[in-house]
Amino acid sequence: MKRIYLHPGPIRLWHWINATSFLVLIVTGLQLRYREAISLMSFEQAVDIHNWFGFILLGNYGIWLLYYLLTGKIKIYLPPANLGKFIKKAISQAKYYGYGIFIGEENPHNSTPENKFNPLQQTAYLQIMALLIPLQILTGLLLWDMDLFSRWINLAGGVKIVDTVHVFLFLFFSSFMIVHIYLATLGHTATAHIKAMITGYEEEHESGH
Amino acid sequence: MFKGIRNLAQAYLAAQARRGKALVETEDQNLALRLRNGLVVLFGPFIGLSFIVLLPLIPVIFVLALIPRIALGSAALESDEARMCMGCHSAPMTKTFVNGEKLSVHLQGKDFSGSVHSFASCTNCHQDVQLDKHPSAKYASKRDFALHVAKSCKMCHDDRQLLASPVHKNIVNRANAPPCSDCHGSHSIRKVAVLKAKKNTSEYCLTCHGKDLSTSIKGERVSLSVKAESIKNSVHSKHACTDCHAAFSTTNHPVQKFASKRELSIALSGACRNCHPDKMKQLEGSIHYRVLAGGNLSAPVCIDCHSSHTVGRTAMAETLAGVPCKRCHEAVFKMYRESVHGVAKAGGNKHVPICSSCHFAHDVKAAGATEKMKEACLGCHKEALELHSKWLPNAGAHLEAVTCAACHVPEDAEHGGNRSIFLYVSDKETGAALGQAQVEKILGKEAGLENCEESGNCISPDEFWTIYRKLDRESPVQFTGKMKLESGLASHRLSLKKNAVRKCEQCHRADSGFFTDVKMAVMKTDGRVQVYNVDPKVLSSYMAILPLGKFYAIGSTRVRVLDYLGLLFIVGGVSVPAAHITVRLLTRGVRKKRKGGHS
Repeated sequence: MKRIYLHPGPIRLWHWINATSFLVLIVTGLQLRYREAISLMSFEQAVDIHNWFGFILLGNYGIWLLYYLLTGKIKIYLPPANLGKFIKKAISQAKYYGYGIFIGEENPHNSTPENKFNPLQQTAYLQIMALLIPLQILTGLLLWDMDLFSRWINLAGGVKIVDTVHVFLFLFFSSFMIVHIYLATLGHTATAHIKAMITGYEEEHESGH
Repeated sequence: MFKGIRNLAQAYLAAQARRGKALVETEDQNLALRLRNGLVVLFGPFIGLSFIVLLPLIPVIFVLALIPRIALGSAALESDEARMCMGCHSAPMTKTFVNGEKLSVHLQGKDFSGSVHSFASCTNCHQDVQLDKHPSAKYASKRDFALHVAKSCKMCHDDRQLLASPVHKNIVNRANAPPCSDCHGSHSIRKVAVLKAKKNTSEYCLTCHGKDLSTSIKGERVSLSVKAESIKNSVHSKHACTDCHAAFSTTNHPVQKFASKRELSIALSGACRNCHPDKMKQLEGSIHYRVLAGGNLSAPVCIDCHSSHTVGRTAMAETLAGVPCKRCHEAVFKMYRESVHGVAKAGGNKHVPICSSCHFAHDVKAAGATEKMKEACLGCHKEALELHSKWLPNAGAHLEAVTCAACHVPEDAEHGGNRSIFLYVSDKETGAALGQAQVEKILGKEAGLENCEESGNCISPDEFWTIYRKLDRESPVQFTGKMKLESGLASHRLSLKKNAVRKCEQCHRADSGFFTDVKMAVMKTDGRVQVYNVDPKVLSSYMAILPLGKFYAIGSTRVRVLDYLGLLFIVGGVSVPAAHITVRLLTRGVRKKRKGGHS
């Protein structure tokens, strides 16, 4: 059994804060949008909590960005220079999830601190971290203080359009979280990846090759 | 003395007989001169003095001699009949008419002074009354009595004489002609010219117009009387009548023709411009003026609010009793009286707004189409935004999309107090609201907008999108949504803060009743708003994301398609892992076998 220190402390902290914020934001978001059907809390409470956790998410994104930029580890999100090879790897990763995993093949990707993500993860996380989360935070910010950001809102075409983007992303993140949690169980044991995100150490079978 | 004169005369005659003729003539002549001189000295001063005193009496005697009537007049009150009448009427007494009016029938000598009828005796005019009978006639009113007595005037002043005067010609044969005494007086009867003489312009006018004077235009009675008291108490007390009635003077009284009484009022209001051009300019931008210009003559002009002669101070128009708006807007005023403002005003609070505080006195705009009402509210409630911000997220955006009244008036379906969503169409660049004519022209007949003025839920999401596209192609437009009360009437019934809408859930839920009445609003030429009923589904349709980009309420106007999309995402998010797990479970044997093979 090989133990790799895959998730440094700040990233683990960031991940769990992120996870909590996402959950809280999804629940309060649902409460705000479907008040007639859900009564977990009052609308005011939902607004307050949603705003607070929105800012936590914003600050947390800052921690993540700062950490990765300062340590230079941001490159783990970036696809390699050889795109052809990357695509090939991505296809073989997809083949693994779609077929190999069922017949007991090994995961073609072995995570190391320098090459943490498989090509599919890399693609998804790059899009999420560089585009979708900033967009979600930005639209959330605009909606948080519509008076302050009225110019930006108007530039975007109005509050309804900003909100539509925000809600669309919320729906995407909600479904993504389900898939994300499922994929997290696909380590060498069901809890291996989850434990790794707590302890920092990913256990891997010594494959012998 | 007389004995002395006789002796002197005898001595003169005796002396004449004794002396010679020549001598006598000389002596007599001397004596005669001396006698004459004696008489002059004796009586001259007396006669001269008497002549000077009596001289003025000569023309009087002459006139009296020439005009028997006047000669008789001096004795009018002295006649037996007059003495008899005055026997009672010189004491204070009143006559009461059927309508309760009272008339003093107490007369004194001075009441007849200067009368051109002083020659006449009482019964010449009061013909019912004779020396031997005094019937107790019943008259409906003072005026009825005056009209009755006036019949006697025609006994002497026949129609031909009367109609010769243009003033009389205008009045005398009219059904509602005033009694003669209105202008000429009852006992001290004078020519009107005498009454008008030596008066300033206003007094001159009031000689007639101070009386109960009226005319009629196409059967409508138009009062021409002006109470001197009203002018005196008005803010225009220092003005002469001719300052406003410029065409008239002591020498000019042109005949003016108007199609109706209303047109006369409108024409007269034009005079106000001379001194108040600023107010007139404001008025020209007002809804009242636009309605008037649109041909509705009942729209108010200056004198409708300020009155014509009793023009009061502005402060008067700001009281519950004096506010002129209530004359036309009675229902609105009733709502206002019930409001927190109306109650406070009645309680004596002078700082409370009344009509003109919010709608302005001259630049009255159709409240629905402008931001003036919000500005008016915030003008007094300066801390409103700050106070709302303490509990209301995005308070500014709320205040922009929701009118003050929409929250601060208790729900009241009876008076149009339900919330409605108004979708105003405006030019994207200039922000100017689109006019009804412009919109109907662009959309054409096939849009059938006029059918949506009455019938509910008329414009479907598809149609709304088509309308938007057509308008936008012509020139970029935007829809601005506003939550308002269904009717402006109810907007006046503002209530206490504690009764206001405060719970977020009242709006922010899909089943909120505040979003069930939706109207598309365009401007009419008079500044009012024309609405077309819109299907409320438009608010939550994906078709409206672009046109209604600026109107959104979390929960209530959420785009429904996103709900279904969300469901699809979640189902997808769950079913992919579920399918994956299933296949993994099903292929467990394969993996075991392979693992076994390896080992």
